[in-house]
Amino acid sequence: MSADPCRGAESMLQPYLDRVLTPAEAARIEQHLRECSYCSDRYIFERGLRSVVRECCCEEPVPVGFVERLRRRCSDQA
Amino acid sequence: MAPSESEPGVVAASEARDRSGFEEEALTHAEHLYRIAVRLTGGQQAAEDLVQETYLRAFRSWRSYRPGTNLAAWLATIMRNANLDELRRQSRRPLQEPLDDDGDYYLYNRLAQAGPVPQDEVLARLSGTAIVSALADLTPTFREVVVLVDVGDFSYADAAEILGIPIGTVMSRLYRGRRALKRALADRTAQEGAA
Repeated sequence: MSADPCRGAESMLQPYLDRVLTPAEAARIEQHLRECSYCSDRYIFERGLRSVVRECCCEEPVPVGFVERLRRRCSDQA
Repeated sequence: MAPSESEPGVVAASEARDRSGFEEEALTHAEHLYRIAVRLTGGQQAAEDLVQETYLRAFRSWRSYRPGTNLAAWLATIMRNANLDELRRQSRRPLQEPLDDDGDYYLYNRLAQAGPVPQDEVLARLSGTAIVSALADLTPTFREVVVLVDVGDFSYADAAEILGIPIGTVMSRLYRGRRALKRALADRTAQEGAA
């Protein structure tokens, strides 16, 4: 992490949320998040943002009869 | 191998069973692919057409799928290529990718500026409409990687394979794409607030 721990945490937050940090790096950012309310507020927001985006897109209703139409089209053209 | 399996009729029947098993398994991913397709194309009809084209191609080349590997990623690769072909056909070109240097906390800071609220209510200022239209406004290069990882739940490695780019490129596009998304969300939320 860089000399300014908050800047360091900012740059590691996305990789942390993506679970691609090494255990040592993850432990460092977790320690910082426990100690710094500025960064932990933003961490909670970023984590929430991911799930809001995912939920919003995954709630997209699949049109009625979609899989059946797909099945029919594929067998027609097989 | 039992002698009877070398008879042509038996081999054909066994292949038909394999193919039909493959098709059934592939179809279990149709709804997941549809939700990704909606975000890639921006429309329900276009998404349905894209998924159909994907399955037609997948069923034609089913023998090139290696059983035991990630079928969703294999289908997503076909879908991505089919989508590119469609974009080329329409000769839409990706716009220049905008740079932004507002930092990772840009959206949070903008939303929090709108007035003091408890931390857990900041997110509630984002509407579903704002999210959908902000995703639609990303340039195609950013949108596809954000949609695959953040909506489709594919790993960096899967996204790299689907897009045919190195993992490092996936990471840098994700980084920039997510920032562009937050910027677009901040702008939309401000517009909604003003309306």
